[in-house]
Amino acid sequence: MPTKRTASKISPRTVVLVTLAVGLGLPGALFAAILLLSPLTKPAVIDALVGRVLGVDPATWPWTGLAEGVAVGILAFILVNFGAIVSGMTVWWEMRVSSRMQSRVGYNRAGAAGFFQWIADAVKLLFKEDLIPADADQILFRSAPYFVMAGFALAFVVLPFGESLIAADLNVGVFYLIAVTALVVVGILLAGWSSNSKWALFGGMRSAAQVISYEIPAGVAVMVPILMSGTLSMQGIVRAQGAWPWQWNVFTNPASTVAFAIFFISQLAEGNRTPFDLPEAESELVAGYLSEYSGFRFALYFLVEFGNLWVMAAVATTLFLGGWQVPFVGPEAYAAARGAELIPGAAWWGLEALSMVVMVLKTLVVLNLIVWVRWTLPRIRIDQMMNLCWKYLVPWAFASFLFTLLWQLAVAGTPALATVSGIALTAATALLLVLFLRQTRANLVAMGDRVDLTNW
Amino acid sequence: MEKLILRRVDQNNEEMILNFGPQHPSTHGVINFIVQTDGEVITRAVPDVGYLHRSLEKIGESTGWHGYMPYTDRIDYVAAMFPNEGYATAVERLTGIEVPRRAQYLRAISGELCRIASHLISVGTMAMDIGAFTPMLHGVRERETINDLIEALCGARLTYNYHRIGGVAFDLPEGWRDRTLAFLDHFDRFLVEFDRLITFNEIYIRRLANVAVIPGPMAVDYGLVGPNLRGSGVDWDVRRDLPYGAYSDFEFSIPVGQGMFGTVGDSFDRYFCRVREMGESSKIVRQALEKLPDGEIMAPKVQRNLKVEAGEALSRVESARGEMAFYVVADGTNKAYRIRARTGSFTAMGIIEPLSRGLMVADLVALIASLDVVAPEIDR
Amino acid sequence: MPTTVREYTGSIRDTVKSFWHGLSITLSYLVRRPITVQYPDRTTLPVRDMLPPRYRGFLEVDASICTGCQACERACPISCIQISLEKDPQNPKQRVVTQFDIDEAKCMFCGLCVEPCPTGSIQHTREFEGSQADLRNLVIRWSDPLHPFPVYKVDKAAEYLPRVELGTLVRAKLAARAWDAPGPRFLPPEPPAAPAAPAAGDATPAKP
Repeated sequence: MPTKRTASKISPRTVVLVTLAVGLGLPGALFAAILLLSPLTKPAVIDALVGRVLGVDPATWPWTGLAEGVAVGILAFILVNFGAIVSGMTVWWEMRVSSRMQSRVGYNRAGAAGFFQWIADAVKLLFKEDLIPADADQILFRSAPYFVMAGFALAFVVLPFGESLIAADLNVGVFYLIAVTALVVVGILLAGWSSNSKWALFGGMRSAAQVISYEIPAGVAVMVPILMSGTLSMQGIVRAQGAWPWQWNVFTNPASTVAFAIFFISQLAEGNRTPFDLPEAESELVAGYLSEYSGFRFALYFLVEFGNLWVMAAVATTLFLGGWQVPFVGPEAYAAARGAELIPGAAWWGLEALSMVVMVLKTLVVLNLIVWVRWTLPRIRIDQMMNLCWKYLVPWAFASFLFTLLWQLAVAGTPALATVSGIALTAATALLLVLFLRQTRANLVAMGDRVDLTNW
Repeated sequence: MEKLILRRVDQNNEEMILNFGPQHPSTHGVINFIVQTDGEVITRAVPDVGYLHRSLEKIGESTGWHGYMPYTDRIDYVAAMFPNEGYATAVERLTGIEVPRRAQYLRAISGELCRIASHLISVGTMAMDIGAFTPMLHGVRERETINDLIEALCGARLTYNYHRIGGVAFDLPEGWRDRTLAFLDHFDRFLVEFDRLITFNEIYIRRLANVAVIPGPMAVDYGLVGPNLRGSGVDWDVRRDLPYGAYSDFEFSIPVGQGMFGTVGDSFDRYFCRVREMGESSKIVRQALEKLPDGEIMAPKVQRNLKVEAGEALSRVESARGEMAFYVVADGTNKAYRIRARTGSFTAMGIIEPLSRGLMVADLVALIASLDVVAPEIDR
Repeated sequence: MPTTVREYTGSIRDTVKSFWHGLSITLSYLVRRPITVQYPDRTTLPVRDMLPPRYRGFLEVDASICTGCQACERACPISCIQISLEKDPQNPKQRVVTQFDIDEAKCMFCGLCVEPCPTGSIQHTREFEGSQADLRNLVIRWSDPLHPFPVYKVDKAAEYLPRVELGTLVRAKLAARAWDAPGPRFLPPEPPAAPAAPAAGDATPAKP
């Protein structure tokens, strides 16, 4: 990894090439590893491999469990690394985007476009002195970051990356997800309490109040796609949707659009993102629950905060935006390409890769939306946050839930209803998008500026 | 002071004492607030000032009359033209020096540009304290252009030292007028955009409307000045009501708080007064550039080693942070006997304690930002 | 707090509308060119050349046209200029400036010393990059006690004063000193210990 010092000596072309190689290669390698490992580390495949390669019966071989465990361990390692690296790259991307929105240049020193800045930051944080306040609760203070980290890492178990690319397709996937992400708030609350700082305590308490309140609208809003798909499994929900926008959960049902909005807002609140960044409100609470953290522990919080963007975006994509569904590729195509072989052929891997690309692209779009919202909106006050939750989100979430119940009955009678709604809502969204872009262009013209993408 | 509060806090209830500052991101300088809170709700917030005291008034007694001018920059370094102007006006009143018309116009032009710059910082940091970072940098971006203009005019970006007793130091440089007019055109468009970006943002309005309401009589009682006073619906502006310099020549309106989204005198009114004042300042600069008379920029024969006959004078100017008064006393020597500056931020600090009862912690930040206090102006 | 249905729906509508505008503005800035310059190494010109001519940077004294009138010293509100004048031992009619120190670390760049100068010898330049590890190194000495410069007699007939190009002198002074050079042990005025520097007395000489 070239540091800034060596990068400045070598030619700009090399810097760009190295940056591109790392910037595309690192996530590329991780995606490839996930693509390869997640279908192959299933117990059935391991058992079959054990049976075929070693010629022993996996049911009686004493080390079968160990082999399965090792395989899952490798996959978990890859996924956690994926989370960490995506988090770092999100930091870089967010800083670049925000600086452009603020007429600044932003990161541009370490590597081309400052891409290696997140690595430099991570290294810097690791080398920092690890301070623990004198009167802090030692055990809780030390353990709090791991709760946060666990809540983050466990979410990757049920995040789909492609058609059969998922660590474990639990039949209670959504339920599991809501349960483990709540661990994050335990960590934040512990951090706030154990720091023995009033600012941190404020942050921790705010976070607890916020996340617990917003679990309710989020949970009810999630019920809408669950009702429409009839399953709690993440893959099942994706399979119930189609590839085209009018087949997505968000558009097939008018109430589901509302539910998506509610879910998105609640996700922002649970991820402590602006406009709901009250727990670490910089201008009010200095750094909130992070006030007393430094070095590695701070880095963990930071990693989770930005890594959560990916989780939030991927969950929203899965539940509402059609997940990994590729146009023109139905379940039969996957089944046909899969064949009966233990290790499927190239066609199947190609399709899997394609579905992964679709999923990643959709996730990135939602991720950018979250970043964009952060750099536009101010923060709301804690009582307004509660107000918003209980007076707007919860009633609307329940209303859309009830509407969906009736809607499903109606769709069962006339299936065309879903198609009509899907097409109408997709068209409306496209229209809004066009209007929005026109508005953006009007903004540019009004200030007498023009599109200029140089100096990225 | 802290002990004083601590004694009053009942240790058995759930209140706690929070030291808000002096190293806090949103205290706008080194100010300390000792905040007594019950959870998120503040029961009392006592400002503790004096961290930035530099004896600026006392220094005036040892430097000469001319030599004090750069020190006035430091009284309010966000809007340094106004203390400059206030001090120069006071000494001119004391000595009876007549300022040439052109110099008065240049004072108005530089002052109004400086007011825009100061208000941009104020509204920008307000947005930042509410949690939106982007408007702050948009404001700073526009302020940068003003800084460039003022730099071309007087050579400094922050501590201008542009005014002199009897006039101003420099005439307009070549091409400055066109640059300024071009900037003002741009700036008027920017104000519209800024309003759309943040002022009328629903979250922003909700955060500011009905927060820390100062009724008009209370504002007068506490000696608030400038946009803080006008935000409470009191129509008072020194530029119009006690005209000084060239201000009687210009047409401009005084924005007054109307309770647009809440009560008259809430934080939003104070904020919005500033936003509209920027537009008015832009109008004044245009008029001044248009009507700018020819002539000298310095009164003739101002002694270099100025000796002033015994006497006293008071000047009142409308600074970005409200009415700023300079009171100078001379005893016949070449140094001042006493210089006293009355600044808006100091009195604004006084109102924080009575207003803070029942506010949330986040509201306190909004209140401080809406009063637009600047630490050096409080302490001097 | 919404009390009527109209207020309730109105607040939702206002929220959506204001977010629409806000988001479209931030998006439009995403595709505009940033306005910041990247000081110090990625600017199109050296920053000093981008500054306006009136910029008040480091003070510079052109010894060749300094009349030794000490007006700048008197004008300085913080006394960061120190000037000593003596009679030239070889030529009693000629006075020489044996000390002309400007403490750039103390200077507040107000420009008051520039105004009374009769020849324009002391001027603000557009130089501002002079960071030094030792604060005392920022005392720029325009006259060496060993090699004092004679005061300039203004030639009434001359059409202009022969001043060297603004900024070159102070640039040379700054360039001659490494940023981490050790500072002098004593700030001027120096103690009268060194016999080689007879002029550097600690009292300001009597006014001429």
